[in-house]
Amino acid sequence: MMRRLLFNLMVWSAVLIVAFPLFWMVVTSLKPQLELWARPPAFLPIEPTVEHYVTLLQDTNFLVYFRNSIFLSTATTLVVIGVATLGAYSLVRFTYRGRESLAMLVLFTYLLPSVVLILPLYLMMVKLGLANTLFSLVLAYTTFALPYALWLLRSFMAGIPEDLESAALVDGASRMGAFRDVIFPQLLPGIISTALFTFILSWNEYLFALVLVNSDASRPLTTGVMNMLISSFNIEWSLLMAASVMMSVPLIIAFAFLQKYLTRGFGAGAVKG
Amino acid sequence: MHNHHDIGGAHSRRTLLKALVAGAAIGSLPLRTRAQRAELRWWTPQGAPAQLDAYRFQIAAFEALHPGVTVVLEPLSDEGYAPQLAAAFSSGQVPDVVTHLPSFSVQSYYAKGLVEPFDDVIEAIGPDDFYPGANDVFRAADGRHVACGIGNSAVNILWLRTDIMQRVGLERAPETWDEFRDALQKLQGRGIYGTALPYGRNTATSLVFIGFIHGAGGQVFTPDLEVAIDSEATRNALEFYREIRDFSPIGATNYSWGEGLTAFVSGATATGLYTGRVLANVNDQNPRLSDHITCALWPTMTRDIPPWTFNDFPSVFIPAQSGNKDLARRLAAFLFEPEGYIRQLHAAPGHVLPVLQSIGEDPRYRDNAIIRKYRKETDLMAQAAANGFNLGYESSAHRSNEKAGEVIASGAIADMVQRVVLNRENVDRVLADTTRAIAAVMAR
Amino acid sequence: MSRSPQALLERRYARLGLLLIAPTIVVFCAVIVYPLLAAIYLSLFQLYTPTLEGSFVGISNYRDLLARGEFWISLRNTLVWTVGTLSLQIVLGIGMALMLHQAVWFRSLARSLILFPYFVSTVVAVLVWRWLFNDLYGILNHMLIGSGVVDMPVDYLGSMPNAMISMILVGAWKYFPFVVIAVLARLQTIPDALYEAARIDGAGPIARFFDVTLPQLRDVLVVIILLRAIWDFKEFDLIFLLTGGGPVISTQTLPLLVYKEAFALNQMGMAAAYAVVMMAIMLVFMIVYIRQTREKEAS
Repeated sequence: MMRRLLFNLMVWSAVLIVAFPLFWMVVTSLKPQLELWARPPAFLPIEPTVEHYVTLLQDTNFLVYFRNSIFLSTATTLVVIGVATLGAYSLVRFTYRGRESLAMLVLFTYLLPSVVLILPLYLMMVKLGLANTLFSLVLAYTTFALPYALWLLRSFMAGIPEDLESAALVDGASRMGAFRDVIFPQLLPGIISTALFTFILSWNEYLFALVLVNSDASRPLTTGVMNMLISSFNIEWSLLMAASVMMSVPLIIAFAFLQKYLTRGFGAGAVKG
Repeated sequence: MHNHHDIGGAHSRRTLLKALVAGAAIGSLPLRTRAQRAELRWWTPQGAPAQLDAYRFQIAAFEALHPGVTVVLEPLSDEGYAPQLAAAFSSGQVPDVVTHLPSFSVQSYYAKGLVEPFDDVIEAIGPDDFYPGANDVFRAADGRHVACGIGNSAVNILWLRTDIMQRVGLERAPETWDEFRDALQKLQGRGIYGTALPYGRNTATSLVFIGFIHGAGGQVFTPDLEVAIDSEATRNALEFYREIRDFSPIGATNYSWGEGLTAFVSGATATGLYTGRVLANVNDQNPRLSDHITCALWPTMTRDIPPWTFNDFPSVFIPAQSGNKDLARRLAAFLFEPEGYIRQLHAAPGHVLPVLQSIGEDPRYRDNAIIRKYRKETDLMAQAAANGFNLGYESSAHRSNEKAGEVIASGAIADMVQRVVLNRENVDRVLADTTRAIAAVMAR
Repeated sequence: MSRSPQALLERRYARLGLLLIAPTIVVFCAVIVYPLLAAIYLSLFQLYTPTLEGSFVGISNYRDLLARGEFWISLRNTLVWTVGTLSLQIVLGIGMALMLHQAVWFRSLARSLILFPYFVSTVVAVLVWRWLFNDLYGILNHMLIGSGVVDMPVDYLGSMPNAMISMILVGAWKYFPFVVIAVLARLQTIPDALYEAARIDGAGPIARFFDVTLPQLRDVLVVIILLRAIWDFKEFDLIFLLTGGGPVISTQTLPLLVYKEAFALNQMGMAAAYAVVMMAIMLVFMIVYIRQTREKEAS
C-alpha cells in the first residue's frame, strides 16, 4: 500500500509540474495589473478579476480573430478530410501504376519545411490576387495538413479487413457503394480523429498566417493576439494570459468530449507507420 | 463625392478568381464584402487603447463627412512593421494611410518608389502652420516631401524617481556618463534596479545605442553617408554600455521598448529611457508614483558634447499602390483637424508632441491634466524633440539617408552591442564586421 | 484478343483509383510541388522583397551562403536544438508513458493534463513560458530565489547557454506528450505473457524493461524519432517567438535565418537558397536514417 501511495505521489507530482504553466496562465489572467507587479508574486490572486476578459472581448479585435480562426480551421479540415479520405481509399485499396511512388511522395512532403514553401506560395497568392484572404491560408494549410491526414487515414484504412469490402462486392455493390456502406462506417472513428488533428494543427498555425496575411480582417488568433498585445507601449501580461486561455477554450472542449479519438489517432499513426 | 464611380470601377475590375474566392468566403468576411464601397486601411504602430479611441473618433468624423467610405484601423507592432510592410508592398495589398512610422523608414520606401509624394497633403494642412523645419526630415533627394510629421517625440529621455533620489541623496539629474554611473550605483538597491536599458536583439537596442554613439561625440555615418561607425566614440559608447549593464534587470538582454517602460512604470527601476508616454502610464497604471517622477535629457560622455535627442519623427504617408489615393490624401489631411488631432495628442500626453504651431498654442491642447501637472517635463521634451535627430538625419549637416530604415531592420547595430557587451568579443573585429554589414546594406 | 471480364473490371478499378487520388495529386502539385520547384528557381535570383525586382545571379547565392559564417552557425544551432530537445522528449516521453501505463489514481485526468501542452498553440505556450521566465515578476525566479537555489534572478532567454537550454526545455515540454501517447498505445499491445516469461526467468523490473519493453517499442520509436526529428528540425514558431534567435545569433536556427533574410533583410532570392539547402540537409539525414534502421532490421 505504501509503495502504491509513493508511486501515485511521484506520478502526480510529475503531472502537476507539466501542467503548472497552464495553471499559472489561468491564475495570471485573473490578477489585476498591480498584483502582477508584486514581487514576489502571490500564488493566487488576492482580488480576482475578470476585467481582462472583458477588455479582450470589448476593446480589441479578439472576436474577429476568433471567428477567422474558426472559419479557417473548419474550412481546412473539410477540404483536407474530403481529399484525403478519397486519396487514402485509393492508395490502400486500388492497384495502379505509380501507386507506390505516390505513397513515397506523401512521406517525402513531411520533410518539407514550411519555410521552403512559404516564399513561392506567397508569390503565388500575390499573383492570383489571393494574398491577404482567409482562402490563401486554407490553401497554405493544406501543405502540412494534407500529408498528415493522408498518412493517418491510410493507416486507419489499412486496419479495416478487406473481406468486408469483398463480401459487399460479391453481393453486387459497386466500389463506391461498398465504400459508402461498408468502409465509411468503419472508417468514421479514424476520420473523426484525423479531423481533430487537422483542426488543431490549423488552429495553432503561426508562420503562414504571419507572412500571408497582413490585414486584421483576415488574421487568425495566433498572429492576431501576438500583434495586438505585444507592443512597445505596454506589455499587458494579464491580458495576454486571458487571450491565451480564450484561445485554448475550443481545444479544451474538443478534448473533454473527444479524448479517445485523439489518442486513437496517435496510436494508428505512430504504431503502424 | 464625384469620385464614387471611380472607386466602384476599381473594385469591379476584380478577376474572376477573386470573385469566386469572395463568394466562397462570404459571410465570414463582412469587412471584405463591404469593400464594394470605398474602404481605406489605416496602419499605425501607435495603438495603445487610449490612442485607438482617439483614432476611432477621427474615423467616425471622417466617415460622417464621406458617406460610403469606411476606414479600417489596423495596429502594428514596432518590431513587426518592417516585415509586414515588406509583405504588403510585394503583394500590392497595401494600407492607404500609414501613420507614426519613423521618418527613416518612409525614406527607404520612397526611394524604391513605394510611397506617394506628399506635398499636396502638406499644402492642404498648411505648410506655414508646421514648426519651422519640422518637415525637413521628410524631404527626399528629388526635393519632394515623402511624408509629413504627425508628431514629434523625444525618445531617449531620462526618467527619474525623485523619491529614491532623495533617499540616496542625489540632488540633480546626472549630465555626464560618470555622473550617471555614480547615480546608478547609489540608486540601485533594496530590490530596485538602477535603470532598464535594452540589450536585446531588436530595433530598440539599435536605436537607443545610436544615441550613445552620439553621446560620445560619434556618428554612424559621415554627412556624405560613408559608414563611420568604426570610431573611438563607438568604442567609448560600447565600453560604457557594458559598464552599466549590471544596473539593468537581468532580462534586459531581451528588452525592447515595452519591457523597459513597464519596468520603470511598475517601480522596479529608479531610472528609465522612454518618451513622455511614461507620464500617462504612471498615472493610469501605478498612480502611487505619479508625484515622484521627473525627466531630464540623456547624459553625454563629457560636458562639452551636447545632448543628442533621438526623435523618430512619427510620420504620415501614403503608399503608392493605394487604390484610393485621393481619399487617402483627404484622410491624411483630416487627421490634423484640431479636435481630433488634439484628442490624439491627449491620448498619450507628452508622448507625441504637436507639429502644428496653432495646436501647440491652442488652449484646448494645453488644457489637459497631465500636461498641466508636468509642465516642466513636457516643455523640456517638446524643446528636445524639436532639436532631435535620427539615423536618417543624424545632424543638420547630413544628407538624408534613405537606407537608414534598412540598416536598422538588418539588426547590425543591435548585433554589435550584443557581441561586445554580452559576448565580450574583440571590439576591433566586431566593428569591422559591423562596418561591413552596414556597407552591404548601403550598397544594395 | 478478347479480354476476360476480370481484366476489364481491374482496369475499371484502376481508373477509379486514379480518379479518387486525382484531387490529392492536384492539390499536391499546386501547393507543394510547384512551390518547391519555384523555391529552387527563386534561389537563382537576387530579389528585393518589397518590389520583387531583381536579376538572375545563377548559383552565386549558394556560393555566398556556404562562405558565410552565419549559415554554419545556424546549422549548428539547428542540430544542437534538434538533438537536445528530441532526446529529452524521448526520455521524458517513455518515462511518463511507463508511469501512466500503471494503475494511477484518476488516470484519465492525468493523461489529459499530460497531453495538453501538445495541443495548445505554440503562441500560447511561448507566452506562458516567457511570463514564467520573466526577470522581474516571473514565478520561476522567485521560486528559485525563495528556495535558495540562486541569489540573483536567472536570465533564461537573453544569455548563453541559458537561452539554448531554455528553448530545449520548452520544446521538450511542448512536444514530449506526442511520445507519451504513441508509446502508451504500443505498451497496451505488448502481451503480458512476455513479462510473465521474463519474470519466471528471474528478471527484475529494470531487466524486464530492457529485455521485453524496449525491444517491443523499437518499431514505434523508430517512427517517432523520425517524425519528431523532422518536425524539430524545421521548427519555426517556438524559436522565433521565444528567443527570436538571440542573443546575437546564438539560437538562430535555419528556418529563422530564412525568414530574416526574406522579410527583414528583404533578400528573397538568398532566403530561397537557404531554404533549399536546408531541405537538402534534411533529405540526406532522412535517407541515412532510413537506411540505417532498415539495415538493423535486416540483420
